[in-house]
Amino acid sequence: MNYAIQVERLSKSYGKLLAVNNLSFCVERGTVFGLLGANGAGKSTSIECILGTKKLDSGNVRILGCNPRTERKRLFERVGVQFQEANYQEKITVNELCEVTASLYQSVSSYQDLLKRFGIAEKGKHMVKELSGGQRQRLFIVLALIPNPEVVFLDELTTGLDPHARREVWSLLSELNNRGLTVLLTSHFMDEVEALCSRICILNRGKSVFLGTVEEAIAASPYDRFEDAYLWFTEGETENETILHNA
Amino acid sequence: MKPFCTMLKTEWKLSLRGMDMVLFAICLPLVVLVILGILYGNQPAYDGSGHTFLEQSFGAIATIPICAGGVMGLPLVISEYRNRKILKRFQVTPVTPALILLVQILVYTLYAACSLVLLWLTGKIFFGLQLHGSTTLFLCGYLLVLLSMFSIGILVGGVSPNPKTAGVIASILYFPMLIFSGATLPYEVMPEAMQRVADIMPLTQGIKLLKAASLQLPIDYLLLPTIVMIVIAVSCSFVAVKFFRWE
Repeated sequence: MNYAIQVERLSKSYGKLLAVNNLSFCVERGTVFGLLGANGAGKSTSIECILGTKKLDSGNVRILGCNPRTERKRLFERVGVQFQEANYQEKITVNELCEVTASLYQSVSSYQDLLKRFGIAEKGKHMVKELSGGQRQRLFIVLALIPNPEVVFLDELTTGLDPHARREVWSLLSELNNRGLTVLLTSHFMDEVEALCSRICILNRGKSVFLGTVEEAIAASPYDRFEDAYLWFTEGETENETILHNA
Repeated sequence: MKPFCTMLKTEWKLSLRGMDMVLFAICLPLVVLVILGILYGNQPAYDGSGHTFLEQSFGAIATIPICAGGVMGLPLVISEYRNRKILKRFQVTPVTPALILLVQILVYTLYAACSLVLLWLTGKIFFGLQLHGSTTLFLCGYLLVLLSMFSIGILVGGVSPNPKTAGVIASILYFPMLIFSGATLPYEVMPEAMQRVADIMPLTQGIKLLKAASLQLPIDYLLLPTIVMIVIAVSCSFVAVKFFRWE
């Protein structure tokens, strides 16, 4: 079986709001997959349903062939996750947070090495809350990589990073990807998506409006730059609605 | 065992860093003991009594750390960890989020145990304190009071929608119990009307239980408080488990 992540007809609504509507995609092992869309398009909800931290209304999800809700314990030995919002104890230091995270898994990468590679090794004794936004973001990527995962989920990978740090994170991820790591990421930076993702899915109001490679997305649009193509895909529906409104 | 030990060590350090439990669970009961010791010294509890006033109050003072940890510390930490999505992060690791709650319960038990030893040594060395009843019975009673107070705390933390509500409920429970259940202000010096109001508070019953155990009062003094403590522990734990929300 060559798929690391399989999502079939996933739907999730909050009350009347349909947050994710019939979403299907597969991520091949060893590839980087980008889940794109404007704020509120349903990216985070999709990720949470895939991970099993939110219950899906209908559909089917498999990560590494496991059901994330019923085979949680086994699955999450091999999966790393970085959530969008910060979730750490208020007075915890970088080293303590890494140490606790490492203790949860049976086999781990050395967190000291990871901190070094992400350029925050000298911050080990600092409180996590005292780090700058970019340093904290890098720390959360480190936490996701501690279990030495086969698949990693990165929600808003480089938000808050300066251009320099972003390039470094890209090259580190590419390196890990070359060694077989599967990545599912969300991002608002189209240059990042072009640099990293072999396949993408564009969401608009919970619905998948494009699934394929970056080149295919450009070809399917009237533009020749990916960012324009992305905007065209995500604004299409709004325009259509305006037309309906005026009619 | 490794995640458990690492987490216990880290959470204990984090809690000490916060200092509030050191003040409310270790220093406050010690101060109350010393003040009562200086005021009443070795005076008998009443004319012709076989035990001193301080010995009569010891069981009550010993519940101060239970009260601080159970109805103040636990609800706040549980609702905070849920609100900061720390419990959610544990959901995407191989360990269960329940582990971190168990660790918290142990952290507050540790405070209570340290405080009990410290109070006992201080009382014995400086004020000639003696335990008239059975040590085993006293320790069993102590554990029962701890279980029932902690179950109230987990219930409050588990069902409060946010840390603010948890804080308000915790204060409503904590301060009246601390002052009027006999933990700080001795029950015996209260006017009778006030004693009747105090009797409604669960901690008052707990203190009666510890007094009866430490002073070797007849067995029928133990019966009602024991039943009350067990009922509270069982019913609050049941409701807490039933309505607990991880997110």
